[in-house]
Amino acid sequence: MRYSKKFILFLLVLFLFFSLSFSQTSNLIDIKILHINDFHGRLLPYIVKSINEKIPVGGGAYLAYIINEERAKNPEGTILLSAGDMFQGTPISNIFKGEPVIEMMNYLKFDAMTIGNHEFDWGQDLLQQWIKSSSFPFLAGNILKDGKYLPNVKPYIIIERKGLKIAIIGLTTTETAYIVKPDYVKDLTFVEPEKVLPNLIKEVKSQGANLVIVLSHLGYDADKALAEKVPGIDVIVGGHSHTVVTDTVIVRGTIIVQAGYNGIYLGVLDLKIQPETGLILGFTKEKELKTVFAGPEDKYDPEVAKIIDKYNTQLKEEFSKIVGETLVDLVRNYNEESNIGNVICDAMIEASNAQIAFQNSGGIRTDIPKGKITMEQVYTLLPFDNVLVIMDLTGKDILDLLEQSATLEKGILQTSGIRVKYDMTRPIGSRVIEVFVGNEPLDLNKVYRVVTNDFLAAGGDKFTAFTRGKNIVYGDMLRDVFVEYLKKHSPINPKVEGRSIIIK
Amino acid sequence: MKEKIKVFVNDKPLEIFQGMQVKHALISYDIDIYKKCIDGEYIVVNEDGFEIGLEGALSDNTKIYIKRRREKSCLERQK
Repeated sequence: MRYSKKFILFLLVLFLFFSLSFSQTSNLIDIKILHINDFHGRLLPYIVKSINEKIPVGGGAYLAYIINEERAKNPEGTILLSAGDMFQGTPISNIFKGEPVIEMMNYLKFDAMTIGNHEFDWGQDLLQQWIKSSSFPFLAGNILKDGKYLPNVKPYIIIERKGLKIAIIGLTTTETAYIVKPDYVKDLTFVEPEKVLPNLIKEVKSQGANLVIVLSHLGYDADKALAEKVPGIDVIVGGHSHTVVTDTVIVRGTIIVQAGYNGIYLGVLDLKIQPETGLILGFTKEKELKTVFAGPEDKYDPEVAKIIDKYNTQLKEEFSKIVGETLVDLVRNYNEESNIGNVICDAMIEASNAQIAFQNSGGIRTDIPKGKITMEQVYTLLPFDNVLVIMDLTGKDILDLLEQSATLEKGILQTSGIRVKYDMTRPIGSRVIEVFVGNEPLDLNKVYRVVTNDFLAAGGDKFTAFTRGKNIVYGDMLRDVFVEYLKKHSPINPKVEGRSIIIK
Repeated sequence: MKEKIKVFVNDKPLEIFQGMQVKHALISYDIDIYKKCIDGEYIVVNEDGFEIGLEGALSDNTKIYIKRRREKSCLERQK
């Protein structure tokens, strides 16, 4: 009897072994996940010197060609995903408020995208417009408005490929609440992903999902932490940290991928899945990213090229449009007050309701002659994608900034809301001899609301006192703020009016 | 929420405002290094050795390292 029991057990093990081996070799389902993230409106190829100094990379048309080429290898089993931050970042996308990117994504038949923090950069109304004009769903399982998911946004979708039910759950960084202009997200709650994800996984599994993909705009470190904390995730397709995850990473059995940024790479994750169990028995382990080269011999998708060409032509028209007028030449002065610095700082004050504005002279890149001002001139004037940063600084912090300004190491600070008298004959560190905020002398112990740009806020050009700021909020892009100011106040007539008086 | 996060650039701790990116950490660390990263002479990698973009998001206690660009990368065009 003992022998016969052992024999039956042996036969059972043998049977399981052969059935598993058989299913591993003959019945596995091939699924291909194509993914991008943090595209940031990069529809046109560009040079990334760290990749190649001569051959451009990225560009929607070249990316599209590779997507279609990969999809053709497994047309029934391919999923195309975006992990968010698709629209904001380049003139061709910014000017048309993301419309060309949506057109490209619709043409490429994206299956889903998760909402990134930058999807709120132009407010929720625009997000809703994108959703309406998209042929793919926007996902976010951890953003709530009045206790419900965002209107027209799903926490997840379940799609079917080759008979396999695949759940795609969207998650967005909770930092969005603090790093987007407050007005745009003040009515939203961003819930910690690990609090919502277990229930969402339970829900999709109860609906028969064999495979669970988290489409995450959380960042690489957060993706790894999520895989540690939450069981049941098969794959995390990530974004936000712009990480070039060349080889797939495994954390507690979860596959983690991320395709860099700006559409320079396409992530190609091939999975071999056992249909009975939903187990992933094989996957791309190395070289998961394909670099999108855009050199003369590289192939591109003509349809996407047409879409981009159409907008690029319109962009030239938009660039030539008049956005304002000046009655005087707008002239830079690196080491002294300038009328162009004054008007930029006035625009910053108006957009932020701060008391004082500071702009680095080095961030102002051209003069503008008297007359009409075009959008192109504004882009040349302010070419950096700086955003406003509003913060509390003490009078002592402000004095430190002005003393640094007086060193002239990196040019003088352009200002609004403040009048400064510098005596350059005095030693460094004691050159600021008089400061007025409005009509009151600067009080070293008082707290002032100050607006600057993100370069200075990070302590750029040695203006490190900005890093002592408190209660910071981010604002709109400086260039947009300046355009709005021009539209409202033109013709402008700024003068050098004694905001910075220099004794030489 | 924490208004500032701590990040490590080449193991040197820095405090930056929440929401700031790799480029801001580099500006704070050494503006010349930042310029070399823009010029492609250096690249930034994370703790696991993966390259990260200058506009990549940072979180509390993220460690990043500056490396001279490799002559050959697996992502470069195959001849």
